[in-house]
Amino acid sequence: MIKRATLIWMFLATAAGIGLFVLKYKVKSMEGQLAAIHGKTLENLEAVHVLKAEWSYLNQPARLEDLGRRLLNLEPVKATQTIDIEDIPFRPVGASNGAARNSSLTNVRPPAADQVPPLFAKIRRKQ
Amino acid sequence: MIGRHPFFPKKRRREPPVPARVETGRSRLLITGALFSAAFLVVTGRLIGVTMFVEKSQPQYSRTVGKAAFKTGRANIVDRNGNLLATSLKTASLFANPRVMLDAREAVNKLAAVLPDLNSRLTYEKLTQDRSFIWLRRHLTPRQKYEVNKLGIPGLDFRDEERRVYPSAALASHILGHTDIDNRGLAGVERHFNQKLRESRTPLKLSIDIRVQHAMRKELAAAVREFRGIGAAGIVMDIRNGEVISIVSLPDFDPNRPSNIQPDTRFNRATLGVYEMGSTFKIFTTAMALDTGRISMRDGYDATHPIRIARFVIRDYHAKRRWLSVPEIFMYSSNIGSAKMALDVGIAGQRAFLQKVGILHPSPVEISEVGAPLIPPRWRKINAITISYGHGLSISPMQLVAGVGSMINGGIYHAPTFLKKPSGSKSIGRRVISAKTSDQIKRLFRLVVTKGTGSKAAADGYLVGGKTGTSEKVVGRHYKKKALISSFIGAFPMNAPRYVVFAMIDEPSGTKKTFSYATGGWVAAPVVGKVIARIGPLLGVRAIDEKAPEIVREMAIDIVTKKEGKRRLASF
Repeated sequence: MIKRATLIWMFLATAAGIGLFVLKYKVKSMEGQLAAIHGKTLENLEAVHVLKAEWSYLNQPARLEDLGRRLLNLEPVKATQTIDIEDIPFRPVGASNGAARNSSLTNVRPPAADQVPPLFAKIRRKQ
Repeated sequence: MIGRHPFFPKKRRREPPVPARVETGRSRLLITGALFSAAFLVVTGRLIGVTMFVEKSQPQYSRTVGKAAFKTGRANIVDRNGNLLATSLKTASLFANPRVMLDAREAVNKLAAVLPDLNSRLTYEKLTQDRSFIWLRRHLTPRQKYEVNKLGIPGLDFRDEERRVYPSAALASHILGHTDIDNRGLAGVERHFNQKLRESRTPLKLSIDIRVQHAMRKELAAAVREFRGIGAAGIVMDIRNGEVISIVSLPDFDPNRPSNIQPDTRFNRATLGVYEMGSTFKIFTTAMALDTGRISMRDGYDATHPIRIARFVIRDYHAKRRWLSVPEIFMYSSNIGSAKMALDVGIAGQRAFLQKVGILHPSPVEISEVGAPLIPPRWRKINAITISYGHGLSISPMQLVAGVGSMINGGIYHAPTFLKKPSGSKSIGRRVISAKTSDQIKRLFRLVVTKGTGSKAAADGYLVGGKTGTSEKVVGRHYKKKALISSFIGAFPMNAPRYVVFAMIDEPSGTKKTFSYATGGWVAAPVVGKVIARIGPLLGVRAIDEKAPEIVREMAIDIVTKKEGKRRLASF
């Protein structure tokens, strides 16, 4: 009996030792991976940092204005080009059912002349 | 039990008697046993603690990764919307160890091929010194670093350094300032917040809006070009909390190249320069007189004859030669009327009022380039008269803007600031004039643009109001004719003013288009108008119909044209 118990204990001790050994190496390799990822993260953060600087360099208002004017024909917004959200007319009654909501933009009709509020009408005339 | 153990045989001594000796041995054993048990308990406890609970002293890889943010030696500076204004980038700096260098002449020749602007003779001298560390070139570009590495010269090496970079170049140069080669702030907020920027990792958020800054700078530069001025200044301030949205001084510099900055471009006309502001001071004079309750908008003063005092004669630029009511004095910018208004309030009252609105102290903004106002040493009657229309007292544009903001925002003075206040926080400020007076000044502001000298500042939809100012520059002890400071201080929308916009051109000359006038109304007012038209949509100010009856009613002024005579209701 004593011998059997000793065997079991010896087996358990060996298993624990091997287990610990394996675990330790596993943890060590994972720590290595973690450190590598850590380093990589820092590297990427630094790259992001540089890119952010470049992004704001490329987004200088003067440059954007020049590009907008030359390539897109854009100009600063004028006061007459803005209207209040309340002044935007609702869609005509006939088109406001479920089918129209699911359909593409081609189904949307411009509001009828009598539904256009004064300010909106003024802008349209200018166009 | 322990006593019977074979390792502890009974000692055979006669004295003292057996039971007593056993007792002593047992109690000693007990104490020793207790000590050992306690020690084992501590070890067990520690074992449990180490294995089951996380402690601070342990290395926590899983946590450090989350926290590991990229850190630079100096925090970023961003604008109010988070756009990057200043950041630090890693660069490589080249140094040499002459002691291990094999052939200095060959090294210089090779380096000169890669770095063409390197001074060969000086470098050779450096490389032949008996030292072990010499800087050759700071802040190389990545390409230059690669090229130098490719040369393979022994004794050369790089050291990682950081360099301050300003992506928007000269756009906000005067407020940002710049740093020296070792990243110490030398001007602007870089200097004022040097310590904070070095220690902190969170970016410094300025109140500046880069888009508004661009609009202001561009329009000012166009005006300087058109009127051949020597400089300009412009400010946009949120009058509800004192946040400076834009501050421009021309000419400006590129903070990315601190060594190339011309001395005259360093001068900040918006905060450091102090000028006699001219007629814009009539805003303070009028508000002061109205606020004391001594006069009302229906009262006025006789401006028929110039005032003669000491050896001076006070005249009107746009002389009407008759009795003028308060709105007319403001609208036609009458010096005579303003002088009489100030004398009505008195010298002490005037001084106390200007003190209250921050005119007699340097502006409290967060940069080191702040000019102290030039105040007359003795405040006599003649001083009171000239100060009433903005002469004989020099202040910086920043002081003027903050003071005028308090005249039209309901009467609360907010100290100007370059830092964005946390959203939702309410600036308290202090009351300087009554809400009623402030409302009257608002109407007067609008009147100047609809009927008076500031008509060129109009920006349709944004209900601009303001006041022109023109003064001759003081050179030595005399006024320099033809050298003007032309300014306009405007605000919008006048029915609920939110922003003050100021523009000033230094020494403009009139053009054919302006009939050779170079006054504030011709030179600076159009700048303010154009700037407001551009920044109105950016700042989310709702454009309104200026002809709408409720707006007209809100801005209407009862203008009396004759002393106790008939009056007419101005409707514009």
